[in-house]
Amino acid sequence: MTTRERTSIETDRREPLSWPHSPGVLKILPLLLPWIIFDAIHASGNGSDLAFARDIQPILSEHCYPCHGPDSQQRKADLRLDLPENAFLARDHGRVITPEDPERSLLIQRIESNDPEERMPPPSSNRVLTRQQKQRLRKWIETGAPYDSHWAWDPPRRPALPLADRNPGWPRNAIDHFILKDLSTAGLQPSPEADRPTLIRRLSLDLTGLPPTLAEGTQYLGDASPLAYETLVRRLLESPHYGERMAVDWLDAARYADTNGYQVDRDRETYAWRDWVINAFNENKPFDQFTVEQLAGDLLPRPTLPQLIATGFNRNHMMNEEGGIIPEEFLAEYCADRVETTATIWLGQTFLCARCHDHKFDPFTQKDYYSFYAFFHHIEEQGRGNYGAPIRRNNPPMLQLPAPELEAKRDQLKLRLGERKRALSAAAEDSPERKQLETEVEALSTRIDEVDLEIPTALIMRERSEPRQTHVLVRGAYDQPGEPVTARTPLSLPPMEADWPRNRLGLAKWLIHPNHPLTARVTVNRLWQRLFGKGLVATPENFGTRGALPTHPQLLDWLAVEFVESGWNVKALVRLMVTSATYRQSSRVPAGARERDPGNRLYSRTPRYRLQAEAIRDQALAVSGLLLTTIGGPSVRPYHPPGLYEQVVAGKGAKTYREDQGAGLYRRTLYSYWKRSVPNPALLAFDAPFRETCVVKRSRTNTPMQALNLMNDPTFVEASRVLAAEMIEHGGSEFGNRLDYGFRRTLGRPPQNAELDVLKATIQRSLADFQAFPGDAQALVETGRTPLPTTIAPTELAAYSIAASILLNLDETITRE
Amino acid sequence: MKRSPVNDAIPHEAARMARRQFLSSTTSGIGVAALASLLNPIHGRASSHFPGKAKRVIWLTQAGAPSQLDLFDYKPHLKARFGQSLPDSVRRGQRLTGMTAHQETHPIAPSLFRFHRHGDSGMHLSELLPHTARHADEICLVRSLHTEAINHDPAMTLLQTGHPLSGRPSFGAWASYGLGAENENLPAFVVMISRPSGPTNAQPLHERMWGSGFLPTRHQGVRFSPGKDPVLFLSNPAGITRSRRRAMLRDLATLNRIKFKEQRDPVITDRIEQYEMAFRLQSSVPELADLSREPETVFDRYGSESKKPGTFAAHCILARRLAERGVRFIQLYHRGWDQHNKCPAGLRTQCADTDQASAALLTELRERGLLDETVVIWGGEFGRTVYSQGTLKRDDYGRDHHPRCYSIWLAGAGIRGGLTFGRTDDFSYNIVKDPVHIHDLNATLLHLLGFDHTRLTYRFQGRNYRLTDVHGQIVRRLFA
Repeated sequence: MTTRERTSIETDRREPLSWPHSPGVLKILPLLLPWIIFDAIHASGNGSDLAFARDIQPILSEHCYPCHGPDSQQRKADLRLDLPENAFLARDHGRVITPEDPERSLLIQRIESNDPEERMPPPSSNRVLTRQQKQRLRKWIETGAPYDSHWAWDPPRRPALPLADRNPGWPRNAIDHFILKDLSTAGLQPSPEADRPTLIRRLSLDLTGLPPTLAEGTQYLGDASPLAYETLVRRLLESPHYGERMAVDWLDAARYADTNGYQVDRDRETYAWRDWVINAFNENKPFDQFTVEQLAGDLLPRPTLPQLIATGFNRNHMMNEEGGIIPEEFLAEYCADRVETTATIWLGQTFLCARCHDHKFDPFTQKDYYSFYAFFHHIEEQGRGNYGAPIRRNNPPMLQLPAPELEAKRDQLKLRLGERKRALSAAAEDSPERKQLETEVEALSTRIDEVDLEIPTALIMRERSEPRQTHVLVRGAYDQPGEPVTARTPLSLPPMEADWPRNRLGLAKWLIHPNHPLTARVTVNRLWQRLFGKGLVATPENFGTRGALPTHPQLLDWLAVEFVESGWNVKALVRLMVTSATYRQSSRVPAGARERDPGNRLYSRTPRYRLQAEAIRDQALAVSGLLLTTIGGPSVRPYHPPGLYEQVVAGKGAKTYREDQGAGLYRRTLYSYWKRSVPNPALLAFDAPFRETCVVKRSRTNTPMQALNLMNDPTFVEASRVLAAEMIEHGGSEFGNRLDYGFRRTLGRPPQNAELDVLKATIQRSLADFQAFPGDAQALVETGRTPLPTTIAPTELAAYSIAASILLNLDETITRE
Repeated sequence: MKRSPVNDAIPHEAARMARRQFLSSTTSGIGVAALASLLNPIHGRASSHFPGKAKRVIWLTQAGAPSQLDLFDYKPHLKARFGQSLPDSVRRGQRLTGMTAHQETHPIAPSLFRFHRHGDSGMHLSELLPHTARHADEICLVRSLHTEAINHDPAMTLLQTGHPLSGRPSFGAWASYGLGAENENLPAFVVMISRPSGPTNAQPLHERMWGSGFLPTRHQGVRFSPGKDPVLFLSNPAGITRSRRRAMLRDLATLNRIKFKEQRDPVITDRIEQYEMAFRLQSSVPELADLSREPETVFDRYGSESKKPGTFAAHCILARRLAERGVRFIQLYHRGWDQHNKCPAGLRTQCADTDQASAALLTELRERGLLDETVVIWGGEFGRTVYSQGTLKRDDYGRDHHPRCYSIWLAGAGIRGGLTFGRTDDFSYNIVKDPVHIHDLNATLLHLLGFDHTRLTYRFQGRNYRLTDVHGQIVRRLFA
């Protein structure tokens, strides 16, 4: 880890709070969640194999909570099935739940009733309980109706490592003990370790988003040290491309883009924040500090320039510049967007539901929502953007970044302007000299503005000197203020410490509190998803009662505690995951595993999945040798189909897409200009989000549009041709050697004979074909701006281009195995 | 060397065989989407709840908000109120946009255009729509649609996705998710965008308006564009003929099958199938987009503009061709309906762009027996104000945004032709009878497609999301 500046937050990192049992909580006990009261009652166990969180709560949450849950407005019959003290109450007609007595529980009578007037859920609700669900509820009541807290509300505790009786030599670290336990229980074996070419390709793609070079492959394959793998991991974690790789997911979550999004969708300038993120991952900024600086860098004592840039996180939301809008309406949207983004990224909670009413399934009231909203409500910002201003003028609050040359130029111009103005005031009325000076003054002022606009800027957060009064907004409407509220965290989660400020800094401290039940779990889960293709919780955006249950709850908790205790060390966590035996398995489906572990829920092999949109293009550029590896800077404009903007844009937005001519064509994809109203279609085809709202999980589809893109996009046609030239020039003189070379460059492994035979036939057929139609060969190899090699005949180059295109289109190539 | 004849069938069949190896006998007769859902249930789709009257939708979206006062909502008594201020008793303090909220007066601008009764039903329609008027007994005019959004971007997003903010799937994506593709060789949801021919104010559009939101991205609308590539990246690069592509795909599939044998990952065989479908798209889409074989009489019907690629009229012919080929959701956008000023002139060119072609589309759908199974909708994202934005003249006025009421028409499958539904007050400002919210419209359209709008859901963030959110009433009185 590199040296780093620690902020004042460090002091409270390791002081465990008595969450959630501090006196502050006791005062609001009646409002608090059931587990505080009922944990004690049910600690004795219930003798049943039903687990409330797994078997009962999902039924109640899905079918009952909408009318008998946390939402006070929708609640019917004053009944809350999420709270046992309410559900067990004696009522006029009896108890809804009588523990151990289903016959005397109204719940059972109502769900089993055949009378549509009586039956619950009512037929009009479209909710139907299955027979199995009814039986479960009955059995649960028979065993005493034990409630349990929702697993994600309790702080994680580090569980003991389970010991499996089989394969004791398999585990390499803690992760493997948890995985092996469940595998053994299911009677499954872990898969053997993947071969070295697969491992280095997997690791390189996972940690840097780029495939290994031939030299890197050779080095790793020849490294006889028993620690060769660990050495490789260390090298990749130190690669400057690690930060680029890790940034992509964070940019999705933070809804980063280069335009304002609404209506005419003009440009904004915020790449400094994107570069801050890359840099933060590269220098392994601890996640707690990463959190504080982005949420509250401006509120730290004497914030540094990077800490201010970091706050751009909360300015990445869309910004409306439409003339007719009502600014208050959009100020509310920006605030709501920050709430939603923060709640999704750090808490894995769906706060959006509570914007208009109390949450229906999770314990968040509408008042909780607007109290959280109040953290983001006092920004010196405007509801309507700067439509009239020059295109590069960011919406305030913003910051000019250091640009010594431009600043000097501007200051010089200002001096000259001062001179001319003084001369002007001395010049005689109506003299020719005066006319001349007036023209000069005007020209200088324009020039100063122009230079000023060239100075790069960053969007930042800045508090207003006068805070606004925040209100609950009735039904979420910006113009219907209700009860006034002040900034605080939701009451159902552990409280903020008394001496923390009630602002974004206090909020950040709360999020990174070591006992926070959610932050570490949610973060660890996203990192797991990054490396294993899916989360331990399959719904990374929802850790609430309707989210997926963790496949390996103990492993999740172990990792969360480990993460916090390591000082929120992201690289250490990544290293832990990728050095596990679980990760190092082969991804081949072992015989019988498809039946016994169909979704690979148990990790009987390493998941195999298609690369992300960015990695697919980056890889093609890398294996052909086209990739330029400069890090950071203004966004670039690679190849793009013509005419897409023209159909939909208007006003002062970019009317047409202007491709870069040189370097901008070959930079890594995360630097590609991102226009929200018309995102790059090749990225959309491979499931990139629009970057309009926070997204923590991309879909992973398989479509003909993807095939068309890989076959016909000039990006890939050019990369095929350049890779073909590499094969011819560096692969040797025979078909076989050249193809072998191309294979190894693309996939990091030599071809099998059967594969080689197919591609040999491709080349032979294509050579004969193009010799008969040399004009077609010429046309094919001319795609793209890279100059043609002078030493290779176009027919030969075209024939190899076909083979190279096949290589770039292989399922294996666009897949991480 | 002779170019080998194209052979589509062999690799396609081979891919099918490969899939059968692990799906055993379950695959026969199931479409691509259904297969994909077997392989990966989360990417699958729903199925309709009951037999729908409509198999498909053609949405003729008029982007920018056409003036209901000048086209559909006949208010003869306004003539006598020319220039009078809009009474406060009508406005009732309702919000206005930032463009006219601070205007000193809000003078009433009666429509410059005459209205006549048409058809047996006697439907009132403006002289700006002579061609549409001939279909008066076929269309159902809803004069009482309303929305909350007052600005274009949120309003169009609400109209298309049921929510004013980004992130939700569009109607077409829901239809694709719900119904899947009828034709495996074409996308289920196609979008075409045309620009106004006149110098009017065209509002921008956003990909999200036909986006898939949280639904799998395969349900996203596919933009068809005029020119070489009607679908992005459709054409082979220069120098690659169809037979060369065929040969390349055969080799690619062979290599992918070698991989499948050792890896046993069903995604690989699905990938082979997607490449085959891409190959089929490369011929089915150009065939579809090629209007050269349409007879002259067709172009006469749609108007002379229909010969120009990329116009609304050309898109209407394409819409008919897409409907013939079983595309589920065909969405046209015509831009340029934002008449803040020079409203009469702007409407004249906009109607010239759209009226004849919209009517011709109805005629052709009827003649070909498609109107009975297709529902057609014509309209925009909100209405326009009765008062003039800017200076009111005898022969000129502007109109600001008005979400409280506006008009659209529907026609086709299950729709009661000749019906004028809903009523607004004398100022076309508030609805006085039978309001229809956008959620109601969407619930009604989903019903026509065979869906209970409360049950066509997708689980996201722990919630079952719907196109109609928690709203929507089916307006059964619109049904035939």
